[in-house]
Amino acid sequence: MSEHPTTSWQAMQNGTVFYRRQQLYSMMGKMPDLGDYIIAGCRYGGPLAMMRDNTKLIAVGRATPAHAKSQIQVYSSAGEGLLLFSWENSRIVRFGWTLNEQLVVLNEDGVYRVYDLQGDYQQYSLGGEASEAGVIDARVYENGMVALTGSLILLEVKGWDGARPLTLVNPNLTDPPLSWAIIPPDLNISRHVEVLLSVENTIHTVDNLENVDQRLSQGPFTHVSPSPNGKSLALLNAAGALLVISSDFQRRMAEFDTLDVPSAQGNVKQVEWCGNDAIVVTWDSLAVLVGPFADTLQYTYVGNTFAITETDGVRIFGADVCDLVQKVPTSTLSIFKPGSTSPAAILFDAWESFSQRSPKADESIRSIRPELATAVDGCIDAAGQEWEPYWQRRLLSAAKFGQGFLDFYNPTDFINMGQTLKVLNAVRFYEIGIPLTYAQYSYTSPTHLISRLTSRNMHLLALRISTFLSLKPDVVLKHWASAKIMRTRPTAGGTGKDSDLDSDDEVCRLIVDKFKQLGGVEVSYAEIAKRAWEVGRTGLATKLLDHEKRASDQVPLLLSMKEDRIALQKAVDSGDTDLVYQVLLHLHKHLTLGSFFRLIEDGGEQLAPASRLLQVYAREQDRDMLRDFYYSDDRRVESAVLALEEASRMQDPSARISAVKSAQKFFSEDKDRSFEAKIMDEFSRLLTLQQQLEAEADGKVAFFNQSVTGTIRTCIVNGMLKRADKIKSDFKVPDKRFWYTKLYALTEVRDFEGLDAFSKSKRSPIGYEPFVRHLVEKGHSKEAVAYVARCDPPKRADLYAECDEWRMVGKECKDRGDKAKLEELRKKCPNSLIARELEQLATSMK
Amino acid sequence: MSTEEQGVYETESTLDTSLLKEISKKTLVDALNSVNGSKTLVLDPSLAGPLGLVTEVALLKHHGVDKMFWLERGPLASNTTNIVYLCRPMVNHVKIIADHIKRHAKESSKHNYTLLLVPRLSSLVSRLLEEEGVLGDITISAYNLQFLPIAEDVISLEYESAFKDIWVDGDESVLFDSAQALVTLQKLFGLFPRLLGKGDHAARLIDLLRTYLSQSHDTSTPDTLLEPSSNFDSLIVIDRRVDMITPLLTQLTYEGLMDELLGIRNSHVELPASLVNPPSNAPADAATAPPIATSSTSLRKENRKKYHLSSADSLFKETRDLNFSNVGKHLNAVARRLDDDYKTSLQSKTTAQLRDFVERLRGRLYSEHQSLRIHTGISELLVPMTRTERFNKSLEIQQNLLASYRVSDQISSIEEMIAKETDIETVVRLLCLASITSGGIKTKTLENIKREFLQAYGYNFLPLLLSLAAPSLATLLPNPLPPSTPSNVQESKLPFASLRKSLRLLIDDNPEAMDEVENDISFVYSGYAPISVRLVQCVAQKGGVLSNPAEKEKVTTASDGSKNAQAGGKVQAHPIVGWKGFEDILATIPGKTVDEVQNPVGVVAPLGGIARPKDKATTTVVFFLGGCTYTEIAALRWVARQNRGRNFLIATTGMITGSSIVDGLAGIQKATAGTKDAGI
Repeated sequence: MSEHPTTSWQAMQNGTVFYRRQQLYSMMGKMPDLGDYIIAGCRYGGPLAMMRDNTKLIAVGRATPAHAKSQIQVYSSAGEGLLLFSWENSRIVRFGWTLNEQLVVLNEDGVYRVYDLQGDYQQYSLGGEASEAGVIDARVYENGMVALTGSLILLEVKGWDGARPLTLVNPNLTDPPLSWAIIPPDLNISRHVEVLLSVENTIHTVDNLENVDQRLSQGPFTHVSPSPNGKSLALLNAAGALLVISSDFQRRMAEFDTLDVPSAQGNVKQVEWCGNDAIVVTWDSLAVLVGPFADTLQYTYVGNTFAITETDGVRIFGADVCDLVQKVPTSTLSIFKPGSTSPAAILFDAWESFSQRSPKADESIRSIRPELATAVDGCIDAAGQEWEPYWQRRLLSAAKFGQGFLDFYNPTDFINMGQTLKVLNAVRFYEIGIPLTYAQYSYTSPTHLISRLTSRNMHLLALRISTFLSLKPDVVLKHWASAKIMRTRPTAGGTGKDSDLDSDDEVCRLIVDKFKQLGGVEVSYAEIAKRAWEVGRTGLATKLLDHEKRASDQVPLLLSMKEDRIALQKAVDSGDTDLVYQVLLHLHKHLTLGSFFRLIEDGGEQLAPASRLLQVYAREQDRDMLRDFYYSDDRRVESAVLALEEASRMQDPSARISAVKSAQKFFSEDKDRSFEAKIMDEFSRLLTLQQQLEAEADGKVAFFNQSVTGTIRTCIVNGMLKRADKIKSDFKVPDKRFWYTKLYALTEVRDFEGLDAFSKSKRSPIGYEPFVRHLVEKGHSKEAVAYVARCDPPKRADLYAECDEWRMVGKECKDRGDKAKLEELRKKCPNSLIARELEQLATSMK
Repeated sequence: MSTEEQGVYETESTLDTSLLKEISKKTLVDALNSVNGSKTLVLDPSLAGPLGLVTEVALLKHHGVDKMFWLERGPLASNTTNIVYLCRPMVNHVKIIADHIKRHAKESSKHNYTLLLVPRLSSLVSRLLEEEGVLGDITISAYNLQFLPIAEDVISLEYESAFKDIWVDGDESVLFDSAQALVTLQKLFGLFPRLLGKGDHAARLIDLLRTYLSQSHDTSTPDTLLEPSSNFDSLIVIDRRVDMITPLLTQLTYEGLMDELLGIRNSHVELPASLVNPPSNAPADAATAPPIATSSTSLRKENRKKYHLSSADSLFKETRDLNFSNVGKHLNAVARRLDDDYKTSLQSKTTAQLRDFVERLRGRLYSEHQSLRIHTGISELLVPMTRTERFNKSLEIQQNLLASYRVSDQISSIEEMIAKETDIETVVRLLCLASITSGGIKTKTLENIKREFLQAYGYNFLPLLLSLAAPSLATLLPNPLPPSTPSNVQESKLPFASLRKSLRLLIDDNPEAMDEVENDISFVYSGYAPISVRLVQCVAQKGGVLSNPAEKEKVTTASDGSKNAQAGGKVQAHPIVGWKGFEDILATIPGKTVDEVQNPVGVVAPLGGIARPKDKATTTVVFFLGGCTYTEIAALRWVARQNRGRNFLIATTGMITGSSIVDGLAGIQKATAGTKDAGI
């Protein structure tokens, strides 16, 4: 039987508030002396990263080996070594943890690396300015960091994917601050990171907009520490006074003199928060918990200590223990507080009596009947707060016992708590070493926990937990596959090519089978393949990529693998034209023009869409390339069309003629295009002619950009009749079209005499009806009348009517004896006078 | 069916397409709000129309748009720090933007640039901006503008160059975007239970649609993609290449003719300003308002104003799909009814009656009056245009070609039209029609007419003729084909003569009957049924293809009239069973035929008719890849009216006419009026 929970409690504020010190792990001699190291701890039960503090002396003969180079060691909370790597770059100024348990290490050149727990890292830089001025310090928070450069400028980095650093407002410092801290963006009202700088006697707050002096006078402050929720600040000044104020600097909440602590020796090491309402001040082997009303609790440790603020407590490392100090949660307090009469306490008592077969149980239950539901909830919640499975089980049993007396009770909370505790107990096991509390687990979510497990390569546990919690196994599987690929890396030069291929197949099959078996349908094979490619296993990457369905994921990797043709093929198959462009543009940049064209041409029908897209693009952007492309592919017709298109853009006549001639040449090279070649020949002749005509007209008349018909018309309009005739014969313009053109042109310039002469020059091939109609249409009815007589007799009456020549209508009808026509036209006539006349005429007809 | 009845639309539940509009509006607002503070909006002119369907200027102003400009060459003066560009990913647009940024840098005026690309990000644009050296200065995001409702039952992507992109340039971006838009539609209303399609590109589109769905299966998949929709019964994709004839013909419905002669863009038609602006005098006087100028010459001189053709206008809704020859009669009837309304009201005795009348005068009567005035005006604009010799000659040639009547004479007529300097669009449309209906034009004749054409319109149109003859289009071919042509060109020839018979394309009814009774979809072309709609009928109204349902009904009502009476003359729509019964005909039409049952991911169901509740009306989505004409919409609406229990939702890449296709191919830019200050 475990000790009663209250044994770890200590009272504060006259016994109204209790704090408990829970020993999480004992780790005799697993970790080196904390005092010799610079340490960064990760929240939520995460690991510690340690680096030898070069400023400290090492006693000769101590077990710790002396390293010339910087070395960073990472230990789990239970003291298990997780990672060790050495640092070859210039001096490390700071390291810290991200939300995803990645270690960020920043050196004085402004280069930072983000390590995962396997030692793989991404490297980024703070930019040129930082590397010139040097970085002297930095603060890392979960989703970014702020660095202080040698020129005392603050640079902010958001996120961990290499975002460009933003410069905050210049704090106008002359010396580096005595101490400083940041409040992360999500805890500020402004939603921007806020930097707190201890300058002289006061604190300056700096963000991306302003630099404000908060006018405190008790400085200088050696420690600045914001609370986990960002609402309060703990400040320690050089005189040893601990000041707690709200982070808007409006309220002072407490003051405490650290010099009053009797057993304290030496300087204060850390000022950390225990949850949001108490502060832990640590000395070499002492930790003092300062409550809101300056009450204190003292915890002594063997050896040096290190404290990590948690959202609901503080983790304190001693030389051989790891403790969690936290305020006793309300639900626990209400059950276990001596003499508690809360319903939950009575329920727990009732259950104990019941298990001892005592009749008192029934009596107790009766007494809390109205509040039984609350009591059950209280027991469930308290179970979540307990560390020992023994007490968890007891509290849950009590809850279950209480449930039996309730008619309607939703057991969801009960079931969830049971599941959660099972998971929490599993990860708290010292080999795993993640001492996560229930509150932290709820805050960070189960998926976060799973990703933490996978990053420790604990795939089986992660998979079991995700199955247990009915989460999708994809994340785990993906990580597992990447790890698998890393592990099975064939030894270089060992077994030769064939066995190498075998192992590729083997690994691929293994991965695909596992995915299928576990239903990880949504795993992106492309990402895993990318991983394989990165470690130099191209064969495996290709094989894995074949299983990827989404082309948009396949293509980028294929390109970086230089599988150009396959990449292009996949892009074309996907139907996503943008993807095709991506590939084309990439290839155009990286291949020689010749091999680029060859790739596309050799693709034949399959790559035809890509070829067409290239043409669309090149037509707009890169005509020279298009010309080369057509030429290299012997596409005469396209070459010719391109030349023709260019000709139409040219302003200079002779340049245009030569462009048309080259089009003609291209057409003539294709035996099926003799017609087009002939046409182009005509075109160049026309252009030459137009050049002559313009010269003849002394540039007063524009001929360019006109068709043959247009040229003829312009000639006629400008009185160059001979020329028009010449063009007609030169270009074999048919009579009919010529007559229409001339008719229109002469009407346009109102040369009615010329028109008359023209109409009589020979028998009109188009008849005379068009003359009448066109003249009428253009409003020359009077001139039109003359031509009606030369039209077909049956149509004359109608045509006269169109010319508004009603007398002639009557006459025509009479001559032809067409009474019906007359009646029909009479209805259309414009005024009654004419109507009457026509009517008379009609009556006179038989 | 009387005209009154035609006006009554489906009362059965239809899909709420305005949802699509709301989504587009919301994403636009979100995109604008992502840029903080007041901003200058620089707009791609080709997007102004579609955006006008989504939002109004006031809304933009409300979301911080201070000023709007067209995206065009030249300096951009902006007094806000934020500049937002909204455009399609085109090379020349990017160049203008890069130019603006460089100019500003030179003048050292500092701005924040945001580029919203429609409908999605483009690596091409990023690359170009990178080459111009301004990529770092601009934030690029996407504004996913997809289907926009242009009528209650018509949604359009409003792409202007879809046809040219696909069949001339071979740029299949439109296909991908269409697939995305159809996925969005499915996300909203559920999975299409059955996918049907005709044509190679239609098949490709359906292919894309399926692969996309099989891949997009992850946690974010909405429930609607997990099971076949109860709203939809099928998707029918018609590839424009399958039916090239329809757009080549002159549309003869009211709305179609308006598009042909006046031009409709994004449901707006440009009209003389005097016609659009309501006269200032009281509505009672408007009845006797003087007739508007009717001659086409005066039209050009007058200021033009855009008029929105919306289906909220009940008179337009009634008349838009009528054959133009019936529109006058209909307008007349409405005018007389309105007149009666006024008269009866004037006889009202009590004050209550009078008040009632005044109320009506202000509301319904007034708006009806306005729309009557405008539509009478439009008809008066159209009538003289339909009386010209060219218009009628062109119609005559079309009808003769469709009947394959003395083809060589028709070709000489076309030649004469060239001589008469008829507009290039009409000539090209007729030439292509001649080639398609007769399986090619005799080589010698064709060369001759091509030469005539080039001499008359300019040799620079040779590329147009070449692309018409190119294998992907193959709409202007010699007969016989030269031996060197690829075999797929031969295969892509439409067996028009046999189709004319098997699909009953040409109706030989006497023209008098046609005037009164719309008894077949062929009313839209005065006696010719569009192949595309016949194909839809093959799926959705099989009886309509084989015989005339209106005629048949007469017989049945005579024999047992009581049986059909409760259905109001409508027949219950048959379930979708694919192309069944018409497989042989479809096989003769070039292009792939698709018929697939679409199952939610992972579920395998047998191919066959899908059982669904009888009483619930379902919607058949007809997607025209490459654009559709107003006549096709009219014809489909007619089909929908014949059946109970099936509605149509017509989706298209854009509205087209034969002329807009020709202009696109020839690269003729129709001038659009625009000022520097953009207004939507």
